[in-house]
Amino acid sequence: MKDNKQIPSWCPGCGTYIVSSALKGVLEELKISSKDVVVSYDIGCSGNMINILESCGVATLHGRSIPFACGVKAVRPDLTVIAQAGDGGLLSEGLNHFIHAIKRNDPITLVVNNNQVFGLTAGQESSATPKGVQARASQNINESEPLNIADLSAASGGNFIARVHENNLSQIKEVLKKAINFDGFSVVEIIQPCKIWAKNFPQKKYKTLAKPFEDRRKIIGRDDLLGILYCKKT
Amino acid sequence: MKNLKIIKKDPLRFLISGPAGSGILQLGEILSSALNSAGYFTQVYPEYPSRIRGGDNNIQIVVSSKPQIALSGKMDVILTMDEILKKAHSSELIPGGTILSSDDLKLFELEPMKSNPIVKNAFFAGLIWKICLQDEAILFSMIKKILQGKYVDLNLEAAHLGFQTETATQYKIKSARGKIVSKTGNEQFASSALDAKVEYASIYPMTPITSLLAFLAKTKIKMLIPEDEIFAAISTLGASYAGHRALTATSGGGFCLMGEAIGFSSMAEIPLVVILGQRTGPSSGMATYSSQADLNFAINSSHGEGQKIVFAPGDLAEISQLTQTAFNLADKFQIPVIILTDKFLSESIFSSAKAELDQIKIKIDRGKKTNLKKEYSRYADCKDGISPRAYPGDVAHLTNSYEHDEHGFSIDDSETRERMVLKRSRKIKNLPKGYSVFGKKTASKVIVSWGSTKIPILEFIFENKQYKFLHINRVWPFDENIKAELAGAKQIAVVENNSTGQMARIIESKMHVRVKSLLKDDGRPFFKEDLEKIKKL
Repeated sequence: MKDNKQIPSWCPGCGTYIVSSALKGVLEELKISSKDVVVSYDIGCSGNMINILESCGVATLHGRSIPFACGVKAVRPDLTVIAQAGDGGLLSEGLNHFIHAIKRNDPITLVVNNNQVFGLTAGQESSATPKGVQARASQNINESEPLNIADLSAASGGNFIARVHENNLSQIKEVLKKAINFDGFSVVEIIQPCKIWAKNFPQKKYKTLAKPFEDRRKIIGRDDLLGILYCKKT
Repeated sequence: MKNLKIIKKDPLRFLISGPAGSGILQLGEILSSALNSAGYFTQVYPEYPSRIRGGDNNIQIVVSSKPQIALSGKMDVILTMDEILKKAHSSELIPGGTILSSDDLKLFELEPMKSNPIVKNAFFAGLIWKICLQDEAILFSMIKKILQGKYVDLNLEAAHLGFQTETATQYKIKSARGKIVSKTGNEQFASSALDAKVEYASIYPMTPITSLLAFLAKTKIKMLIPEDEIFAAISTLGASYAGHRALTATSGGGFCLMGEAIGFSSMAEIPLVVILGQRTGPSSGMATYSSQADLNFAINSSHGEGQKIVFAPGDLAEISQLTQTAFNLADKFQIPVIILTDKFLSESIFSSAKAELDQIKIKIDRGKKTNLKKEYSRYADCKDGISPRAYPGDVAHLTNSYEHDEHGFSIDDSETRERMVLKRSRKIKNLPKGYSVFGKKTASKVIVSWGSTKIPILEFIFENKQYKFLHINRVWPFDENIKAELAGAKQIAVVENNSTGQMARIIESKMHVRVKSLLKDDGRPFFKEDLEKIKKL
């Protein structure tokens, strides 16, 4: 693949710089050849990682990175298959695919760049937008709790559930590595509030969970925790 | 019986009706297979409501010495499982025909049917066998083969009693030569997909392609159960991208959700084969009834202007031929290929000379693939527009649903956009002939049709030699040679199962002439009697 001097499209300070660098580092450390990794990308700012990450990259459609990845893995179990999604594609357009990939336990890794807003379309409220803020193009202050990726995973029977934050590169790498090596569906959500449209959103005080829960039901409601929240023992 | 009449009849038409869950559809399967073994061509057309139990499930069975069979609204023999159904169907009987209900036959007091009403269908099978003057052993061996141990003895007992029943009229039909096989269109789609070496399928259940899903589930094809038709189509694209032949199928309502996958396939140049089983629409329509109203929808599916091919097979042989060809062309041109079928073609049981079906084996062509000798670009701008493929695992490369350059990077500059549009537009070339002509070459009146209407029209021109028949089996891209074929015609009559004449409009726009239309949009395929109206157009 020709480099073509691709320049990242992200704004200064965007968490996707961190995530793409973490993902690149992890694949190198795991010694997986770029030709043996398929990454299917959602539509949105974070999907532009396709231009930076050396792999078999596929720019799919909004909300459809999971179905595409599942099809690849179904016939090519030899490949490492990663689906990338933003909070818009995952929780709105493609939510059906998310919970069903968990149900089928399709052996892919889902990387979610959660910037809490529709970024590329200029700041509309997403299903991950915090309660109490008014996004651009919203008529009112958002009075509903955001959908929570880890909660949905736990309720759907997810076997590997993790949440990390953009400000901890080493934790992102450590968790991604375990997720990619996990035999079954794994989800890693990266909290990376948009530096343009979500800069005034209230943020949680996070703390890292020392050891994953033994019972995945304990995840529900604990939106302040980071790290691997649940990992089914095989 | 003293006044037994034996009547020669070819074709012979039966209608059997019972509530859903009474085994009417299985009766059709057993009888058609047994009749084929006895040397007859058959056609079994099922009609059933969208419900699990009750209602009126009925099948029309046509028995003939020749393969050209058109359905009819008029029956020689009608058998029903209750009095209400007898009354409902009595107007469909020809004068002098036989109509009997379970009550007429006193099945309510006759064992084993009295205690096990579920074997009434086997009793009917035996009775029909008697009416057709056939050898009991053939029917018995077919019941054993198809039921495979499930209450076989009880069914055989019922069938034997049916065979012992005395009837006033029996029918003698001339038999055909050679081995005849019967299958539904969906069964043929499944076996042709296996011939094409399909390795992945994802299909959301929807009439009329549901039985295709059931046939494929019995094979070694890898299948993921989809949450919706979007997953079905996009995961099929994923498997195809990964280097394996993959298939999805749906009906119009599901195809509404697949529009984005059609465009994705065109733009990212990933082969995609979709079987689209038409049923009555729009919206939920009449879920279990037939239609040919999705022609324009298939041709125009997806926003933007992508390349695609749309086939419309008309019988078992064409299903085999075009399904295998669809996979070759999807691979060759890296485009979506849609195969249109409908409830009539997918769910009716058709028979065919076995030798004729078996000979349709098309060599697999996976299309251009890179040899990796030089630096690889997924969308290299080749003279024929077809860039060699690489599969993941061969080399790192980019595949893109956005407009892109040769390497697969997204672009929005005008020069690259124009170049890539032109590249893709050059791809579809030298397609196989998209139509067939039947009947006398010199006939000045032409019937034109596409898809499943082929079956009854072939019988019509067999009996009406003043017509020839042009059957279009590739509806898109339109075969421009059709213009020359139709140029000298005194009359062009386009026959379609829809209410607006979608193919008629395409032909008019291509040829700048007015054509006549014979349309039927009541959910039923064309019957023999319907086609007679061609003469009055």
